[in-house]
Amino acid sequence: MIRHHPKETLLKAFAGGELAASLSAAIAIHVDMCPLCQEKTAAITREQAMKSFGREALSADINSSGVDSCQQAETDYDDMIQVIVADEQIAPVPLRIPKKITLHGQEFTLPQAIANLQLGKFRHLGKLSRARLLLGEGPIHTSLLHLQPGGSVPEHTHKGYELTLLLAGEFHDEQGSYVPGDFMMLDGRHTHTPVSEQGCLCYTVVSDALHFTQGINKLLNPIAALIY
Amino acid sequence: MQVISGALQKNQEGIKPIAMPADFDNKTLTRFVIAIALKRDKQAFTSLFKFFAPKIKRVAATRFNNSEQVNEVLQETMAIVWRKAHLFNIDKGAVTTWVYTIMRNVSFDMLRKVQANKEDNLSDDIWPLAERNIGEGEIFADHLAKKHMLTCLEQLPQNQQMVVKGFYFLEMSQEQLARQLDLPLGTIKSRLRLALSKLKLQLGDDNDQASS
Repeated sequence: MIRHHPKETLLKAFAGGELAASLSAAIAIHVDMCPLCQEKTAAITREQAMKSFGREALSADINSSGVDSCQQAETDYDDMIQVIVADEQIAPVPLRIPKKITLHGQEFTLPQAIANLQLGKFRHLGKLSRARLLLGEGPIHTSLLHLQPGGSVPEHTHKGYELTLLLAGEFHDEQGSYVPGDFMMLDGRHTHTPVSEQGCLCYTVVSDALHFTQGINKLLNPIAALIY
Repeated sequence: MQVISGALQKNQEGIKPIAMPADFDNKTLTRFVIAIALKRDKQAFTSLFKFFAPKIKRVAATRFNNSEQVNEVLQETMAIVWRKAHLFNIDKGAVTTWVYTIMRNVSFDMLRKVQANKEDNLSDDIWPLAERNIGEGEIFADHLAKKHMLTCLEQLPQNQQMVVKGFYFLEMSQEQLARQLDLPLGTIKSRLRLALSKLKLQLGDDNDQASS
C-alpha cells in the first residue's frame, strides 16, 4: 500500500498549476496511482474553481468593474468570439500511446505524465543508471534513476530538496521500505541510504547538488554528478 | 449551485440592468456546452464566453502582468472550450470546474513558454482533460485516429451527426438525448441506427471485431 503522499500544500499548488513541470509531473504520477490523493485533488480543484469562478468571484467582478470598462470589453469580446467560432474543426479524442523503455533486459511503461518528455541517454555507474528528462528548469534536475538488484545509493543529504517517486520495484532506507507510488520529499534535514534488493525504477527531482556524508563517498564526485 | 438569485432579483426590483455578465447556474452552463458539442451553437458559445471572460481575465491577471498575455489566456481557453466541448463529461463535474482546469492548463503551458522557453505543452499529459473509461472509449479513440471517423461524421446529415456526437462523445444516454434535443425517443433511436449503418459503410468492413 502507498504510505507516502505529497503534503496538502503541494496538492493545492499542483491543482492550481503553480508548480514547476518537474514537480507537477511527479504529483500527477502519484495521483494517478493513489485513489486517496486523486479524490483530494479533485475536491481541491472543485474548490479552487468555485473560488475563482463562482458566486463570490462574480460579485467581485461587479464591484471592481465600472460600466465603461464592461462595454469596452464587450466589443473586444465580440472580435475574439468571431475568431474562435470561425474554426469549424472539433478536436479529436486524444490518443495516448504508452511509452516503453528497456533497461538491463527489463521493460518499463512510463507514466503518461512523462511519456512525451525528451529523455536523454542512460548513463551507468555500477548498479546505478540515470537518464535525464530534459525539462529545461536550470538547477532543478529531473531524471529516471534505476537500481539493479542489490544496488544502493551511498548515504547523502541535500542543500535543496530531493524528490523520489518510486515507479516500479522496491527499495528501503533507514525510514522503512517503499512501494510503487510512494512519494518522498527530502530536504537538508534528512540523510538516507536507499538500498534495493530486487531493483527499482524511480523518478527523481533534485534541486541542488548532493552531499555525501560518509568517508570515501565524500570524494565520489562521479556518483554525485550522476544522481543530481 | 444556486447562482441566479442576485442578478435576477435586482432586475425584478426594477433596477436598470447594466452591462455585466449574465449569471447562469450549472444546468444552464451544461446546456450551453452540450449545444456547442452537438450543434456548434454560436449563440450558446457567446453566452458562455461572456459569462467566463471576466472571471478568466481576473484570474489570469494574477499570474501574467501584461494584458496581452491575459487576453491570450482568455482566447486560448475559450478556443479549447469551443473545440473540445464534445469531450466534456457531463457526469464528471460542473462546467465551471471544467473551464477552470482548461484555463489552468493554458496558463501552465504559457508560463512554461515564458520561464523555461519550452513549447512542449505538457499540461495535457499532466492533467488529461478527456478522462474517460478505458475500454470502449479506447477502441473508439483508435477508430478516430485510424479511420478518420470525424471526417466521415461530418458528412452525415446534421440531425444524425448530433445524435452520434451526443451518444459517443458526450456519453449521453438515448433518453438524455431525447430530452436535450426535445425529440421522441424513437426518433433518436432510428437516427442513431441510420447514422451507424452509414458510418460502417464509410469506414469499411474491417472494423467488425471492434464494434462487436
